[in-house]
Amino acid sequence: MTDFAIETHQLCKSFKDQPALRGLDLHVPAGSIFGFLGRNGAGKTTTIKTLMGLLRADTGSAHVFGVPVTDADSAAGVRRRIGFVTEDKELYPYMTVEQIIRFTRPFFPNWRRDLEQRYLEMFELPKARKIPDLSKGMRSKLMLLLAIARGAELLILDEPTDGLDPAATEDVLRELVSITGSSGITIFFSSHQLSEVELIADHVGIVDQGRMVVSGCLDDLKARYQRVHVVLESGEGPPVRWPEGAESIRQEGRVVSILCSHNADAVVEQAQSIPGATVERFPVTLKEIFLEHARSN
Amino acid sequence: MLWLKGWLETRFRLLFMLIFTAPLLFVMHSAGAHATASSVSGRVAGLVSHVIPFFIVFTCAFLAGAGIATQTSFQASKGLHGSALFTLSMPVRRLRLLAVRAGIGWLETSAVIGVLCCEMWLEIPMQRAGVTPIEMFEQAATLIACSSAIYFLSVLLGTMLDDQWRVRGTVLASVGIWVLCTQPSLPAFADIAHGVGERSPIVAHTIPWNVMAFSLGLSAILFFVALKIAQRREY
Repeated sequence: MTDFAIETHQLCKSFKDQPALRGLDLHVPAGSIFGFLGRNGAGKTTTIKTLMGLLRADTGSAHVFGVPVTDADSAAGVRRRIGFVTEDKELYPYMTVEQIIRFTRPFFPNWRRDLEQRYLEMFELPKARKIPDLSKGMRSKLMLLLAIARGAELLILDEPTDGLDPAATEDVLRELVSITGSSGITIFFSSHQLSEVELIADHVGIVDQGRMVVSGCLDDLKARYQRVHVVLESGEGPPVRWPEGAESIRQEGRVVSILCSHNADAVVEQAQSIPGATVERFPVTLKEIFLEHARSN
Repeated sequence: MLWLKGWLETRFRLLFMLIFTAPLLFVMHSAGAHATASSVSGRVAGLVSHVIPFFIVFTCAFLAGAGIATQTSFQASKGLHGSALFTLSMPVRRLRLLAVRAGIGWLETSAVIGVLCCEMWLEIPMQRAGVTPIEMFEQAATLIACSSAIYFLSVLLGTMLDDQWRVRGTVLASVGIWVLCTQPSLPAFADIAHGVGERSPIVAHTIPWNVMAFSLGLSAILFFVALKIAQRREY
């Protein structure tokens, strides 16, 4: 029994010589809610498709529940334990809501009829309506229902709240937290909405240009990452060699702003050694961490 | 439940092909009504040789699936790529996905051919006098076996091409096969085009077993190649 629901090691994937993943190392602890962040084209969807066996990695390995997913057919059994929401939320256009639920149900022996009923009511999905007649938000809700009711141990959700209004987003996020708490399932979701990720995720990973640049427990990251403001006595301070961990240093007038990825105490100590300088430290938000990495790369 | 998906994708296509047999029915009826005893065999041979092969190619192209990708229920589309991802998230091997979809289309193609043969027997009175129901059944079996190669060629193309290009590709490849079958150097057992035409039971009064066996063997190879492509393909 592995401690990780998802593990990738040095995962590489290129499309026509254009690298999408460049040695991605990903570790998603079992039972966690893992927010997978990155800019457009950073490699999020490629990673998700590789985990689902829709794409084949060029090199490296990818395991879900300890089973290699590099071969689509061998991973068929693992997919019984996975609920999946695709990025574009497309379903069969010739089926109604009721038909697609009836179609999906028999593939999953652990199908949860109670959850099916609950989400049909909660999301107000019209059973008789054809899928093309649903709005994008409704399709997102239907896909979530189809993913969650599978009775899966792992939910892989690619932009799950895309197209949802704020109230529905709130409901969905609350439900995701609730089912993780009650069933102990793992949720791996990508999103551009940093506030959502910060709200529900306990682990995050930031991918950029196909590499994992930040990964870990969100509380640890927030404890580790700190912003240090140094107010200098005059505009020109003495040249300072900042210790390791000072990720980004910006100066505006007399204020030097330093984002520390770790070792904040040493940075503060160094700042305090500048004659006449006033030093303050602040906690950082996930958005700040994300933007810092997005900008620096 | 994959059969349900396949059926919902193909039901209107099947209905269209069954309706499309009506114009053929009219042609057959005219051929039968105006035929004299001396000319009837020639007219039937002409009908069988020229109209039916065209109809079969069209049926195969229309009912063969788009590989693992989703088809719309009627018109050829540029492939519903997104919903294929949903299909592939199911705990089902690609072999089963492809086999069920191809199997449903093949059964429906066989049904259309069966209906066509029944209509031929019912609508051409003079032919009815000269052809027994058993010979008509043999004719249907021959047409189904010989058309399988075209059908599975379309299945193979469906694993590589969009639906629109698959249909065009099937028609073009069928024309190529037709031209190939006119070459005298081609072995008789490989002459699929004439197996559904001049060498079919109601014209030649013999069952072209070797052509049928060749066509079914070729179908198996084409399906195997289609499967390998579907297994290798990325979505």
